[in-house]
Order: sequence, then structure tokens, then C-alpha cells
Amino acid sequence: MIYQDSTTVLEVRGLRASVNGIEILKGIDLTVRTGEVHAIMGPNGSGKSTFAKVLAGHPAYAVTAGTVSLEGRNLLELAPEARARAGVFLGFQYPIEIPGVANSQFLRLAYNTVQAQRGSDELDPLEFDDFVREKMKLLEMNPDFLDRSVNEGFSGGEKKRNEILQMALLEPRLGILDETDSGLDIDALRVVAGGVNQLAGKDNATVLVTHYQRLLNYIVPDYVHVMDGGRIIKTGGSELALELESRGYDWVSAEYKNAARATA
Amino acid sequence: MSTVLQNLVNQPYQHGFVTDIESDVAPKGLGEDTIRLISAKKKEPGWLLEFRLKAFRQWLTMQEPAWPNVHYPKIDFQAISYYSAPRAKKKLASIDEVDPELLRTFEKLGVPMNERASLAGVAVDVIFDSVSVATTYKAKLAEVGIIFCSISEAVHEHPELVRRYLGTVVPAGDNYYAALNSAVFTDGSFCFIPKGVKCPMDLSTYFRINTQESGQFERTLIVAEQGASVSYLEGCTAPKFDTNQLHAAVVELVALDNADIKYSTVQNWYAGDENGVGGIYNFVTKRGLCKGVNSRISWTQVETGSAITWKYPSCILRGENSVGEFYSVALTNHHQQADTGTKMVHIGRNTRSTIVSKGISAGQSSNSYRGLVRIAPTAAGARNYSKCDSMLIGERCSANTFPYIQVGNQSAQVEHEASTSKIGEDQLFYFAQRGIGAEEAVSMIINGFCKDVFQQLPMEFAVEATKLLGLKLEGSVG
Amino acid sequence: MNTATGSGYLESLLREQPALPASPLAWLNRLRANAVERVGALTVPSARDEDWRFTDISPLTKMPFQPVTRAAKLEAAAIERFTLPEAGARLAFVDGVFAPELSYNRTAVTVANLATGAGRHAALLEPHLGRHAGFADNVFAALNTAFLHDGALIVVPRDVAVAGPLHLLFIATQPEAASYPRCLVAAQAGSAVTVIEDFVALQEAAYFTNAVSEIVLSDNASVSHVRVQRDSGAAFHIANCAVSLAHASRYRSVSVALGGRISRYNLNVLQAAEGAQCAIDGLALITGRQLADSHTCIDHAWPNGVSRQLHKCIVDGSAHAVFNGKILVRPGAQRTDSSQSSRNLLLTGKARVDTKPQLEIFADDVKCAHGATVGQLDAEEVFYLRSRGLSDAAARNLLTYAFGAEIIDRIPVASLKQRLESIVLAQTNH
Repeated sequence: MIYQDSTTVLEVRGLRASVNGIEILKGIDLTVRTGEVHAIMGPNGSGKSTFAKVLAGHPAYAVTAGTVSLEGRNLLELAPEARARAGVFLGFQYPIEIPGVANSQFLRLAYNTVQAQRGSDELDPLEFDDFVREKMKLLEMNPDFLDRSVNEGFSGGEKKRNEILQMALLEPRLGILDETDSGLDIDALRVVAGGVNQLAGKDNATVLVTHYQRLLNYIVPDYVHVMDGGRIIKTGGSELALELESRGYDWVSAEYKNAARATA
Repeated sequence: MSTVLQNLVNQPYQHGFVTDIESDVAPKGLGEDTIRLISAKKKEPGWLLEFRLKAFRQWLTMQEPAWPNVHYPKIDFQAISYYSAPRAKKKLASIDEVDPELLRTFEKLGVPMNERASLAGVAVDVIFDSVSVATTYKAKLAEVGIIFCSISEAVHEHPELVRRYLGTVVPAGDNYYAALNSAVFTDGSFCFIPKGVKCPMDLSTYFRINTQESGQFERTLIVAEQGASVSYLEGCTAPKFDTNQLHAAVVELVALDNADIKYSTVQNWYAGDENGVGGIYNFVTKRGLCKGVNSRISWTQVETGSAITWKYPSCILRGENSVGEFYSVALTNHHQQADTGTKMVHIGRNTRSTIVSKGISAGQSSNSYRGLVRIAPTAAGARNYSKCDSMLIGERCSANTFPYIQVGNQSAQVEHEASTSKIGEDQLFYFAQRGIGAEEAVSMIINGFCKDVFQQLPMEFAVEATKLLGLKLEGSVG
Repeated sequence: MNTATGSGYLESLLREQPALPASPLAWLNRLRANAVERVGALTVPSARDEDWRFTDISPLTKMPFQPVTRAAKLEAAAIERFTLPEAGARLAFVDGVFAPELSYNRTAVTVANLATGAGRHAALLEPHLGRHAGFADNVFAALNTAFLHDGALIVVPRDVAVAGPLHLLFIATQPEAASYPRCLVAAQAGSAVTVIEDFVALQEAAYFTNAVSEIVLSDNASVSHVRVQRDSGAAFHIANCAVSLAHASRYRSVSVALGGRISRYNLNVLQAAEGAQCAIDGLALITGRQLADSHTCIDHAWPNGVSRQLHKCIVDGSAHAVFNGKILVRPGAQRTDSSQSSRNLLLTGKARVDTKPQLEIFADDVKCAHGATVGQLDAEEVFYLRSRGLSDAAARNLLTYAFGAEIIDRIPVASLKQRLESIVLAQTNH
């Protein structure tokens, strides 16, 4: 939702990034303010997942130019865990399986680390158990999840719910959800989207990275950005997503090329 | 590999110092004379000298095993000294008379030799090079009829017991290194838990190699009579030398009806440096015989040291309903080589065994699990479950799994599974994205990976084991 | 193979080798000569060789075997029951000798006898024949190569998908005959073919089959390989198959061992380029005093390879099944994805199985898992069927059948599948 008294959460200017010497992001500008939901759409290989990972500080990507700030703070100089503690949350497209590490143990450690950073109280295992069970209801999750190893043997839907559960626990300033809808059936999609909607508030912001429009039937974005070739080539309101659904991406690319030619 | 991982697995060896103490070292070389010399120094009875000589003659006809997945230059058995003992000024009346230099050595290693100072109430037999230097809590244990002393002492004090069991589980000619040990073993621990006695405290032996050119050949014998139970711990360290030292031990366990023996090892012999120079050759034969009905023998090992480890703690499940267990964590780094696992030989009816093996390889090391599960035709209703997991850290190491499963009884059920995993950038990034730093992430992953084994260790040992793996513990282990 | 046993025996097996007609191809004659030399240098393996620990082949060395000098003439009716209506081509070999009158080829690709087809395809053959199934340390592969003459040659040109399966039928008719079946399949880039190797017997005789197959897949090729060993219960069957997989090629194999007094199948699959995939499945269904041994090795030498393996043994009577499955992941073969499973069912108190799944991993970014089970039928499943009205025996028969049928089901040739299913059904009906 767009609010009058919002403040800037994320400010990206001229961001370029490459992997193994190949440039993937070729100059991205994006401003996200509190309360807003942004959708970044685009064809496969357009760079949208890379953008999400670069914001979270994935070590495989090298930032070659540009600035990224989170609430005025230079994000690029922070290690991935420091970004997380500062309030950046990335919901993974393919959440990692960690055999042997109990989900409850992992969630509590993550929660307490972020709490300590914020100067808030850490929870002991019993307190945390109560707390996490409340949050799990939000996502209609089976309490068995807590005893299983992190993501190990989880179905696609279970993994994604687990990601949103983590977001609910960590209460980030900026939630970036990378292809959260992939691999979800319609019921899981409804639950996951419901969770995201409940977590989205006046004081935080959400960026959805998605290939398809169907997630946007459940989470209505304030802005839709189309990415292609490592750039944002068009920005519009939620109606743009519907247009992309019916017309595909080609026309946007063509329009962008024509415009580029006109200015040249 | 990330630097955090690198640092974590490359912790310096902390026990690499040498104690400056006057030692009585036998001249290098091996022959019948050497054996007679050892036997004479220990004032052994004739039957034991015969046992040794017979083993030696057998050893001469045997070949060094070539099947393990380890590689090393040929050992010159004539370049080793087979006896080394700290020179005692006079016969010791109590622990308080032990050479203060030795006391300081073991203090530094964290081994309490002073009963008053010892925290956990663990009775310790301390072996320095070839001989036992002290055994704590002997008197207290004797009150309930438990014999816990060095095997040399047992030969003199309880010859009938030693003679009845020595070499019955691991015959002198069992394998190349067991034969060598049988010929030249110098000391080790003996414990005997009489009928119906539950040992009131953990028993422990601490092994320390100090002399550069001596080999260590200890012999441990544990007998638990009907209904007895004992938990036994073993730890080992050695100084850093740029040559290799040979450690060829034999451990025999005997469990009679309803007896229970739990044997835990934290092995941290010097592993050699990052280029693979120096380190201990750890060629060990450990075997337990579940002789009686409902008996149980459980091996737990955390193997982090040694240049080469060649070790298969085994259970012969002869008694009906007897149970064998093997829980192992083996960590290899740099140029270390480990070929370790177990043998579960099911002979009695309804015998059960469990194998849980966790191998972690880093650097350019090679880590092999080799295990045998044999179900004899007589072992109706036998069950085995094995799980062997490997974790690779970096791309220059190797992990191998060689399970041999031999089943000759239709009603047996055997299940084996194995998998591999890794700690990679993606895993660490996932943790980092949730605010958890790399060091903590690695510790958590490795702990999670080894959890099933650490749970089997007695508390103090679990702590030591996790520290050894360079880990900080979240939650409780043990 | 470094024991001294049976070198005189090997000489006796080679007795007729010099009588073999020379090939017009000089390199082929050299290959045979090299193989003869290797046989001379090697010995019959014994239980002291790790690879033969559980398989005692000394009974073989107690019997004399010679190649047949004159092939029996068979009527088509004699092999009627082995015909597969779907087959696009059939090559029949009687006691190892090519039988043109029982063979046909309705496809457009080369399906020919090696002895006569070699000349035309010499350029293609030379880099492959005898190069994949190495015989330097393998006395049986060396023996086969020493006798290399008649055999199957299949060449599938680039981008051709052969419609029907190609049926290679090896028929044993005489006691004391030694036959050396040979097969070379070259599937060129983008091609697809199904090949069936079918070993059958017309009588319960003691004979010796020693086969070698080489299967070479070029980029993106796809080969489905079915191997059915239904030799006589008194026969000795030893076979080596080497498969080489190029970039993104796919190899699928189902091998079924039913016959033989002693049978041994070595299958080595080399993933010689990136992104290759293989699925190799096996079933041994044996009884009496039979011994069936299967040794497989999947060699992941390049990144992004995938392998799947399911091997099952149903052991009845006093039979003995052996399985040794090695998965090798070489340095640099990152992102290998491999899983292997060995499942064994012992039906009697005298049946025995030795299984050794084996992982050797030299790369860290891999997903490898293996598992092995030995046991009986699942009591819950038996109970479930009984609760639906089946007798205990009927429930057990059905479940035993189902255990084996899981592998048979993977054979992509309907008529063959059906026939094998009825064999399994009959054998599992107690």
C-alpha cells in the first residue's frame, strides 16, 4: 500500500553485477518505500533472481558499479549475515536442505541472533516453542516441521511455507521473495500468499520476484517492474501484470528497444 | 573452499609438545631377543613369554595387509624401539610419588591423575610410551570387586584371569599387526567387572606417545561377567615429530550373559603437518565378543588424529539376543588417510547390530568406511541396520564406502544406507541470510551431521569431541 | 588374477584358436594375437582375487570346452518360441556361429555379422572394437577377443531412431561347446535404438558362454539395452559389457539372469563426457545350486552426470547371489547425481546373498546415495493381502512375483516382458 508518510527502505542506483566475469545486471535503479509491495517480473534469464541474490549479498556475484542502501545504510559493504540482521530477508527459490539440523534449532538460532542485534530479548527453547507455534498457525503448518531437519525431505510447498515462517519470525524491513510461487499448488499458493499479506505492513516493504502473474492474483502489488537483459525496462501499476499475462514479454522488450533507438 | 571452513578444519594440534624426561629405551630392532628383553623387564611368567614368542614366529610368516585404501612407505620394523619407559627412581607407593614432570604433562593434556583434583570421578589408567604410570581410584573400585590396573600388573596379580581371556577374542595370529602386538605389547589396561556389578564410575585409559623412535603396542583386556556393566573411555595424544610412529594396539572385550560394555574412544594422535610429514600410523585391532545371552558391546569412536588409521572395532555376536553397536565419527584433513569401520558377525539367534558411521573429509585427505555385516546360517532372526554418511569439504579430498553384506540366513534382515553431503557456499549463504555467521553455521552443520554419534558419548567425552572438531555447541550434546 | 591355478586349462581352451580364419583386417588379427598373448599371461581367477571373492568358478575348470567346428542347422520352428514380433531385425548365433538363415533385417541401419560386415565398417570399428572392453587384466575378455570372429555389429547413423528393437539371439544347442559371443553397438550422435541380447538354450546341457559387448554412444544418443540370460541350468555364463557415454547421451539397461549353473556379468559404464545419464537395473532369479554374480561399475568421469541403479535378487533353494556395485565419482565430476539400491529376497534357509554396494567419491559437489537390504517379504504387506482374502502362500507368491516384476516392467519390449513375467510367475509359485 502506498502511504503519504512513508520513508525509503531500499534505494538502488546504477547497480551492475557480474558472475564469473559475465555481466548480468546492467544498471538497475529502484526505490522501495515503507508499506509498498513491488513485483519484479521478466522472462527467464532476465536477471531478476540475480538481483534478489545480489541484494542479499550472495558471494558468487561481484558488484561492479552502483549503490544500494537500506534505510540510508550502505548495504554493499555488509556481509550477508549483517544484511540479514539489518533487516533484509531473502525467501529462496530453492531453499537449502540441511540434514541433521533440527528446524526448531535453526529457527531459534536465527531468531535469537536477530533479536540480539535489535537489543531485544532472546527466547529460551520453551518460550520459543510457544512463539513459533503461534506463527505456524498463520501458515497452516504442521507442528511436526519443528522436529524435522531444515528443509530435508520437505515438499516444494513445505519448503516455501518454511521460508515464509522464517520471514514471520525475523520481521524484516525488506522481504525479497524469489519465485516463491514456483512449485506450489493452488492451496499452498493461497496459504503462502495469505502469510505474505499478513506480514506486509506500514513499516516494512516487500519485493516479489516472479515469472508468472498468478501470484499477483493473491498479493496485489503497488508497482510492477519488468526486467529484461539485466535492466528494468518498464514500470507500471498492478494492471501491467495482467497485460503481461495476456500479451507476454516481447512487446515490452520491443517498446524498450524502439524507445532506446529513438533517444539514440 | 571458504576461508572460514579452511580455518575451522585447520586448527593447530595442541598436544604436540615433548616431555623432557629420562627414559629407559630398548635398543632399536626386533627379534626373539627383543621379546625376551621385554618379557624380562616386566618379570613375566613363562607362559606369557611363550605366548609372545609364538605370536612372533607367526608374524614372521605373515604379510602386511594390502587391501586397505591407504598408502605409505614400507615400515622398517628394525628401526623401531619396542620398549620405552620413563625411568622411575624407585617403586611408587602412591600417585603422589609420580615424577612431577609426568604429572605436569598429563595436567597439560587435561588428564586428572590426582584423585582429589579429578572432577568427573573417572578412574584413569595413564600409559606413557610403553608403560602404565598410574591408575587412579583403584582402591575405591576394589571395594566392589572391580579390578582396574595396568595389564602388566594384572599379569602378576591376577594371572589366572589374564591367562583365561588373553588372546581369546583376537588370537595372536589374527592379522599382521595383532600378531606383532601379541609379540611385543608392553602395557595397557586390564579391567574385570565381576558378576552382577555395575561399575560405579567410568573407567578410562589415557595413552601418550613421547619418544620419537618408539612404537606403542598396548594391549587392553576388559571382561564383564554375568550381569556386569562398564563404560570405558580411551584418549590418546602424541608430540609432533617429523617422522612417523607406529601404534599397533589390540583391544579385547568379553561380555558374558547379560553383561554390557560400552567402549568410547577419542583418538587424537598427531596427524602429521599440512604437508603430510610425520604423524602416527594407527593400526589397531579392536574386537568384542558377546559371549553370553543378552550381552551388549557398544563401540563409539571419534577419530580425528593419526596420519593413517586402520581400525575396525568389531563385535562377534555369539550369545543369543546379543547386541553390537558401532558409532563412529572420522575426520580427516590435509594428507590424512583413514580406512575405518566395523565388523558385525552374527552367530547367535536374534542378534542385533547397529552401525552409524560419519566420515568428514577435508584438504587432500582420504576417508574410507569399510564394514562387514555377516549373518551366519545359525543366526536366525538377526537384524542389522547400517547408516554411513560422508561429508566432503573441498574438492581435493575423497570419501569411500565399502560395505560388505553377507547373509546366509533367510530370516535375517539387513539394511544399509549411505549418502554424501557437503558444506558449500550455498549452505553457508543460506545461514548467513538468516543472520547466522559462517563459523556458527559450520559448527551447526557438522554437529547435526555427527549428532547420532555424539549422543552415544559420555558427557565429558562429548564435550571433548566437539571441541576437537573445532565446534561451538548449540543446545546439548550427550 | 595372479594365481597359478588353471593355466593349463586356459591353454586347453585356446586349442582351436589357431584354426580361426584370418580377418582381412590386419589390426583385427593383431588384436586377436594380443588377446592370445594376454590369455597366456593371465590365470583363472580364484577366491583370493577381490573381484571373485564370493564366486568360485573352479567347477568350470573341471570341464573341457571347445568351440563347435560345425554349427548345427536349426529349423526356424526350433526357435519359434524365442521370436519377438516387434523386432526390426534379428541376428541368430547357434553355439556362437552366425546363422544367416535364422536372421533378418527389416531396418535401414546396419545390423550385420561382424565377420562379414567388418570390412565395410573398418574405419568405424577400429577405434572401438576391443578398446572399451579392456582385456589386459581380464582373462575372460581376453579369451573372447582371442576368438573374435562372428558377432553382432550394429551401427545406427546420426539422428536415426530405429523403430523396432534389434534382437540378438544366442542359441546354445550342444554340451561341452564353448561360444564367444561378441557385440559392438555404435549409436551415432542423436540416434536412438533398443538392443536385446538374448541367451537361450535348446537343452539342459553344460556348455560355456563367454560373451563380450561394447556399446558406444555418441553425443545425445540413446540406447536401451536389454539382456536376458536364460541359459541351461548346467551352463557356465561369463560376460563383460563395456559402455561408453558421450555428451548428454542416455543409456538404459535391464539385465535379467535366470539360467546358468554359474553366471557372472560385469557391466562397466563410463560417463566419458558431461551430462551423460544412465539407468541400469538388474534381476537375478535363481534356485537349486545356481550362482548368479553381477558386478557393475558406473564411472562418473565428467560433471553433471546422472546414474540410477536398482538391482534385485530373489534367491531360492540353495542358490547364491552376488552383487558388487561400484559408483566412482572422479575428481572434477561435480554435480554428479547418483543413486543405487540393492534389494535381496532370500526364500529358503539355504539361500545366500553377498552384496557390496560401494561408493568412491573424489568430488565434493555431488549427490550420491546407496542402499542395500536383505530380508524377507514385508509382513505388513502379507497381512494386507491376507486381510483381502488371499491365502498366506498366495500372498507370498504374489509379493515375490511383484518384487521381481518391478524390474521386468522396465523392459521396453512388450512381448519379451510378457514372456519373462510368466517365467517369473512360474518360478515364484511355491
